[in-house]
Amino acid sequence: MFTHLLLPTDGTHLSRAAIRKGMLLAKALNARLTAITVIPEEHHQLYQADITTQAKQETERHYRAEVERRLAAVHKEAGDAGVRCETLCERSDHPYEAIIAAAGKYNCDLIVMASHGRRGVTGLLIGSETQKVLTHSKIPVLVVR
Amino acid sequence: MFTHVLLPTDGSKLSEETIRKGMGLARSMNARVTGLSVLPKLRYFNYESEIPAGIKDEAARKCRETAETHLAFVRKAAEEAGVICQTASEIDDQPYEAIIRTAEKRGCDLIMMASHGRRGVKGVLLGSETQKVLTHTKIPVLVYR
Repeated sequence: MFTHLLLPTDGTHLSRAAIRKGMLLAKALNARLTAITVIPEEHHQLYQADITTQAKQETERHYRAEVERRLAAVHKEAGDAGVRCETLCERSDHPYEAIIAAAGKYNCDLIVMASHGRRGVTGLLIGSETQKVLTHSKIPVLVVR
Repeated sequence: MFTHVLLPTDGSKLSEETIRKGMGLARSMNARVTGLSVLPKLRYFNYESEIPAGIKDEAARKCRETAETHLAFVRKAAEEAGVICQTASEIDDQPYEAIIRTAEKRGCDLIMMASHGRRGVKGVLLGSETQKVLTHTKIPVLVYR
Protein backbone atom coordinates (compact mmCIF):
# COMPACT_ATOMS: atom_id res chain seq x y z
CA MET A 1 0.00 0.00 0.00
CA PHE A 2 1.09 3.62 0.13
CA THR A 3 3.87 4.00 2.66
CA HIS A 4 5.07 7.58 2.40
CA LEU A 5 2.78 10.49 1.60
CA LEU A 6 4.00 13.88 0.41
CA LEU A 7 1.76 16.80 1.37
CA PRO A 8 2.48 20.06 -0.44
CA THR A 9 1.09 23.17 1.25
CA ASP A 10 1.08 26.84 0.33
CA GLY A 11 -0.51 27.94 3.58
CA THR A 12 -3.97 28.65 2.17
CA HIS A 13 -7.07 27.19 3.79
CA LEU A 14 -7.58 24.89 0.81
CA SER A 15 -4.13 23.48 1.39
CA ARG A 16 -4.93 22.91 5.02
CA ALA A 17 -8.04 20.93 4.17
CA ALA A 18 -5.96 18.73 1.88
CA ILE A 19 -3.31 18.33 4.57
CA ARG A 20 -5.97 17.24 7.05
CA LYS A 21 -7.24 14.63 4.59
CA GLY A 22 -3.72 13.47 3.85
CA MET A 23 -2.98 13.04 7.53
CA LEU A 24 -6.12 10.98 8.13
CA LEU A 25 -5.20 8.80 5.17
CA ALA A 26 -1.65 8.32 6.43
CA LYS A 27 -3.03 7.35 9.81
CA ALA A 28 -5.40 4.79 8.27
CA LEU A 29 -2.56 3.34 6.18
CA ASN A 30 0.15 3.58 8.83
CA ALA A 31 2.17 5.59 6.36
CA ARG A 32 4.92 8.17 6.85
CA LEU A 33 4.17 11.81 6.19
CA THR A 34 6.27 14.60 4.78
CA ALA A 35 4.83 18.07 4.26
CA ILE A 36 6.53 20.46 1.86
CA THR A 37 6.16 24.15 1.24
CA VAL A 38 7.83 26.04 -1.59
CA ILE A 39 8.89 29.68 -1.64
CA PRO A 40 10.36 31.61 -4.58
CA GLU A 41 14.09 31.60 -5.27
CA GLU A 42 16.24 34.49 -4.20
CA HIS A 43 16.25 37.17 -6.82
CA HIS A 44 19.03 39.67 -6.97
CA GLN A 45 17.73 41.80 -9.73
CA LEU A 46 14.45 43.38 -10.57
CA TYR A 47 14.08 45.03 -13.95
CA GLN A 48 17.86 45.17 -14.33
CA ALA A 49 18.31 47.21 -11.16
CA ASP A 50 20.05 45.59 -8.24
CA ILE A 51 17.85 45.09 -5.23
CA THR A 52 19.21 46.92 -2.20
CA THR A 53 20.57 44.84 0.63
CA GLN A 54 17.84 46.17 2.87
CA ALA A 55 15.09 45.16 0.47
CA LYS A 56 16.66 41.70 0.16
CA GLN A 57 16.76 41.27 3.91
CA GLU A 58 13.18 42.48 4.19
CA THR A 59 12.07 39.91 1.63
CA GLU A 60 14.00 37.08 3.25
CA ARG A 61 12.56 37.98 6.63
CA HIS A 62 9.08 37.93 5.15
CA TYR A 63 9.63 34.52 3.59
CA ARG A 64 11.07 33.07 6.77
CA ALA A 65 8.02 34.22 8.72
CA GLU A 66 5.70 32.84 6.04
CA VAL A 67 7.43 29.43 6.06
CA GLU A 68 7.26 29.43 9.88
CA ARG A 69 3.54 30.10 9.70
CA ARG A 70 2.86 27.41 7.10
CA LEU A 71 4.88 24.72 8.83
CA ALA A 72 3.48 25.61 12.26
CA ALA A 73 0.02 25.05 10.79
CA VAL A 74 1.14 21.62 9.54
CA HIS A 75 2.51 20.65 12.95
CA LYS A 76 -0.76 21.71 14.52
CA GLU A 77 -2.76 19.56 12.09
CA ALA A 78 -0.41 16.66 12.79
CA GLY A 79 -0.87 17.12 16.52
CA ASP A 80 -4.64 17.20 16.14
CA ALA A 81 -4.60 14.08 13.97
CA GLY A 82 -2.16 12.28 16.23
CA VAL A 83 0.39 11.64 13.49
CA ARG A 84 4.08 12.31 13.00
CA CYS A 85 4.97 14.55 10.14
CA GLU A 86 8.31 15.72 8.79
CA THR A 87 8.40 19.14 7.17
CA LEU A 88 10.43 20.59 4.33
CA CYS A 89 10.88 23.95 2.74
CA GLU A 90 12.27 24.32 -0.75
CA ARG A 91 13.02 27.33 -2.89
CA SER A 92 11.83 27.29 -6.44
CA ASP A 93 10.06 29.56 -8.87
CA HIS A 94 8.22 26.50 -10.09
CA PRO A 95 6.59 24.81 -7.10
CA TYR A 96 5.56 21.75 -9.08
CA GLU A 97 9.19 21.00 -9.89
CA ALA A 98 10.22 21.16 -6.24
CA ILE A 99 7.29 18.99 -5.25
CA ILE A 100 8.07 16.30 -7.78
CA ALA A 101 11.78 16.43 -6.96
CA ALA A 102 11.01 16.01 -3.25
CA ALA A 103 8.73 13.06 -3.98
CA GLY A 104 11.61 11.38 -5.78
CA LYS A 105 14.30 12.33 -3.30
CA TYR A 106 12.35 11.12 -0.28
CA ASN A 107 10.84 8.05 -1.94
CA CYS A 108 7.25 9.13 -1.51
CA ASP A 109 4.66 6.94 -3.18
CA LEU A 110 1.65 9.26 -3.08
CA ILE A 111 1.22 13.03 -3.33
CA VAL A 112 -1.87 14.50 -1.67
CA MET A 113 -2.66 18.06 -2.63
CA ALA A 114 -5.45 20.60 -2.94
CA SER A 115 -7.04 21.28 -6.30
CA HIS A 116 -6.33 24.99 -5.93
CA GLY A 117 -3.90 27.18 -4.04
CA ARG A 118 -2.91 30.78 -3.54
CA ARG A 119 -4.50 32.16 -6.62
CA GLY A 120 -7.81 30.65 -5.63
CA VAL A 121 -10.61 29.19 -7.64
CA THR A 122 -11.38 32.15 -9.90
CA GLY A 123 -11.94 30.89 -13.38
CA LEU A 124 -9.64 27.90 -13.04
CA LEU A 125 -11.15 24.47 -12.86
CA ILE A 126 -7.95 23.14 -11.41
CA GLY A 127 -5.03 25.13 -10.03
CA SER A 128 -2.00 25.58 -12.24
CA GLU A 129 0.59 24.03 -9.91
CA THR A 130 -1.69 21.07 -9.15
CA GLN A 131 -2.23 20.62 -12.87
CA LYS A 132 1.52 20.61 -13.48
CA VAL A 133 2.16 18.12 -10.69
CA LEU A 134 -0.54 15.89 -12.17
CA THR A 135 0.90 15.99 -15.65
CA HIS A 136 4.53 15.50 -14.65
CA SER A 137 4.39 13.27 -11.59
CA LYS A 138 5.65 9.73 -11.94
CA ILE A 139 3.75 8.67 -8.82
CA PRO A 140 0.02 8.70 -7.98
CA VAL A 141 -1.56 12.00 -6.97
CA LEU A 142 -4.68 12.42 -4.81
CA VAL A 143 -6.45 15.69 -5.57
CA VAL A 144 -8.61 17.02 -2.77
CA ARG A 145 -11.20 19.77 -3.10
CA MET B 1 -11.52 8.28 6.07
CA PHE B 2 -12.81 7.21 2.67
CA THR B 3 -15.70 4.76 2.88
CA HIS B 4 -16.75 4.11 -0.70
CA VAL B 5 -14.35 4.11 -3.61
CA LEU B 6 -15.41 4.29 -7.24
CA LEU B 7 -13.11 2.35 -9.55
CA PRO B 8 -13.78 3.10 -13.21
CA THR B 9 -12.17 0.68 -15.62
CA ASP B 10 -11.75 0.55 -19.37
CA GLY B 11 -10.11 -2.85 -19.35
CA SER B 12 -6.64 -1.51 -20.09
CA LYS B 13 -3.58 -2.86 -18.32
CA LEU B 14 -3.14 0.34 -16.31
CA SER B 15 -6.80 0.13 -15.31
CA GLU B 16 -6.20 -3.36 -13.98
CA GLU B 17 -3.19 -2.25 -11.94
CA THR B 18 -5.25 0.66 -10.63
CA ILE B 19 -8.05 -1.70 -9.64
CA ARG B 20 -5.66 -3.96 -7.76
CA LYS B 21 -4.11 -1.05 -5.92
CA GLY B 22 -7.58 0.36 -5.28
CA MET B 23 -8.64 -2.86 -3.63
CA GLY B 24 -5.60 -2.74 -1.37
CA LEU B 25 -6.42 0.83 -0.42
CA ALA B 26 -10.07 0.01 0.24
CA ARG B 27 -9.02 -2.93 2.36
CA SER B 28 -6.70 -0.76 4.48
CA MET B 29 -9.46 1.73 5.11
CA ASN B 30 -12.29 -0.78 5.50
CA ALA B 31 -14.02 0.86 2.57
CA ARG B 32 -16.28 -0.71 -0.04
CA VAL B 33 -15.89 -0.30 -3.76
CA THR B 34 -17.99 0.07 -6.86
CA GLY B 35 -16.45 -0.96 -10.16
CA LEU B 36 -17.68 0.91 -13.20
CA SER B 37 -17.36 0.12 -16.87
CA VAL B 38 -18.25 2.88 -19.31
CA LEU B 39 -18.54 2.06 -22.96
CA PRO B 40 -19.29 4.50 -25.75
CA LYS B 41 -22.59 4.47 -27.59
CA LEU B 42 -22.32 2.24 -30.57
CA ARG B 43 -22.09 4.00 -33.88
CA TYR B 44 -22.23 2.16 -37.12
CA PHE B 45 -22.62 4.35 -40.09
CA ASN B 46 -24.49 7.54 -40.74
CA TYR B 47 -27.53 5.74 -41.95
CA GLU B 48 -28.53 3.54 -39.04
CA SER B 49 -31.75 2.48 -40.65
CA GLU B 50 -29.76 0.61 -43.29
CA ILE B 51 -27.98 -1.66 -40.81
CA PRO B 52 -29.59 -5.07 -40.59
CA ALA B 53 -31.08 -5.63 -37.14
CA GLY B 54 -28.95 -8.75 -36.67
CA ILE B 55 -25.69 -6.84 -36.85
CA LYS B 56 -26.86 -4.21 -34.38
CA ASP B 57 -27.89 -6.89 -31.90
CA GLU B 58 -24.57 -8.67 -32.38
CA ALA B 59 -22.66 -5.47 -31.69
CA ALA B 60 -24.77 -4.65 -28.64
CA ARG B 61 -24.15 -8.13 -27.32
CA LYS B 62 -20.39 -7.81 -27.81
CA CYS B 63 -20.55 -4.51 -25.98
CA ARG B 64 -22.29 -6.08 -23.00
CA GLU B 65 -19.75 -8.91 -23.01
CA THR B 66 -16.85 -6.50 -22.97
CA ALA B 67 -18.30 -4.60 -20.02
CA GLU B 68 -18.92 -7.90 -18.27
CA THR B 69 -15.28 -8.99 -18.78
CA HIS B 70 -13.99 -5.75 -17.31
CA LEU B 71 -16.34 -5.98 -14.34
CA ALA B 72 -15.57 -9.65 -13.75
CA PHE B 73 -11.96 -8.60 -13.27
CA VAL B 74 -13.04 -6.05 -10.68
CA ARG B 75 -15.18 -8.55 -8.81
CA LYS B 76 -12.39 -11.10 -8.74
CA ALA B 77 -9.88 -8.55 -7.46
CA ALA B 78 -12.37 -7.53 -4.74
CA GLU B 79 -12.92 -11.12 -3.69
CA GLU B 80 -9.17 -11.74 -3.47
CA ALA B 81 -8.74 -8.62 -1.36
CA GLY B 82 -11.76 -9.28 0.83
CA VAL B 83 -13.47 -6.06 -0.13
CA ILE B 84 -17.23 -5.52 -0.52
CA CYS B 85 -17.84 -4.76 -4.15
CA GLN B 86 -20.66 -3.73 -6.42
CA THR B 87 -20.41 -3.20 -10.13
CA ALA B 88 -22.17 -1.04 -12.66
CA SER B 89 -21.94 -0.49 -16.36
CA GLU B 90 -22.93 2.56 -18.35
CA ILE B 91 -23.09 3.52 -21.96
CA ASP B 92 -22.04 7.09 -22.53
CA ASP B 93 -20.03 8.96 -25.14
CA GLN B 94 -18.63 11.08 -22.33
CA PRO B 95 -17.14 8.59 -19.90
CA TYR B 96 -16.23 11.32 -17.45
CA GLU B 97 -19.90 12.27 -17.10
CA ALA B 98 -20.94 8.67 -16.40
CA ILE B 99 -18.12 8.36 -13.88
CA ILE B 100 -19.08 11.48 -11.96
CA ARG B 101 -22.81 10.72 -12.17
CA THR B 102 -22.26 7.21 -10.79
CA ALA B 103 -19.98 8.43 -8.01
CA GLU B 104 -22.55 11.00 -6.90
CA LYS B 105 -25.53 8.69 -7.24
CA ARG B 106 -23.86 5.97 -5.18
CA GLY B 107 -22.37 8.23 -2.56
CA CYS B 108 -18.73 7.51 -3.37
CA ASP B 109 -16.29 9.69 -1.46
CA LEU B 110 -13.25 8.84 -3.57
CA ILE B 111 -12.73 8.17 -7.26
CA MET B 112 -9.58 6.25 -8.07
CA MET B 113 -8.63 5.98 -11.70
CA ALA B 114 -5.67 5.43 -14.00
CA SER B 115 -3.79 8.43 -15.35
CA HIS B 116 -4.27 7.07 -18.85
CA GLY B 117 -6.72 4.80 -20.57
CA ARG B 118 -6.96 2.69 -23.67
CA ARG B 119 -5.41 5.30 -25.90
CA GLY B 120 -2.26 4.99 -23.81
CA VAL B 121 0.53 7.37 -23.07
CA LYS B 122 1.44 8.39 -26.58
CA GLY B 123 2.26 12.05 -26.29
CA VAL B 124 -0.45 12.70 -23.73
CA LEU B 125 0.77 13.51 -20.27
CA LEU B 126 -2.61 12.97 -18.62
CA GLY B 127 -5.48 11.04 -20.18
CA SER B 128 -8.40 13.12 -21.41
CA GLU B 129 -11.17 11.38 -19.46
CA THR B 130 -9.14 11.47 -16.25
CA GLN B 131 -8.49 15.16 -16.84
CA LYS B 132 -12.19 15.81 -17.35
CA VAL B 133 -13.20 13.91 -14.21
CA LEU B 134 -10.67 15.95 -12.23
CA THR B 135 -11.93 19.27 -13.45
CA HIS B 136 -15.63 18.56 -13.08
CA THR B 137 -16.08 16.87 -9.73
CA LYS B 138 -15.82 17.98 -6.12
CA ILE B 139 -15.13 14.41 -5.04
CA PRO B 140 -11.44 13.68 -4.29
CA VAL B 141 -9.74 11.92 -7.20
CA LEU B 142 -6.71 9.69 -6.85
CA VAL B 143 -4.88 9.54 -10.16
CA TYR B 144 -2.90 6.34 -10.31
CA ARG B 145 0.19 5.79 -12.42
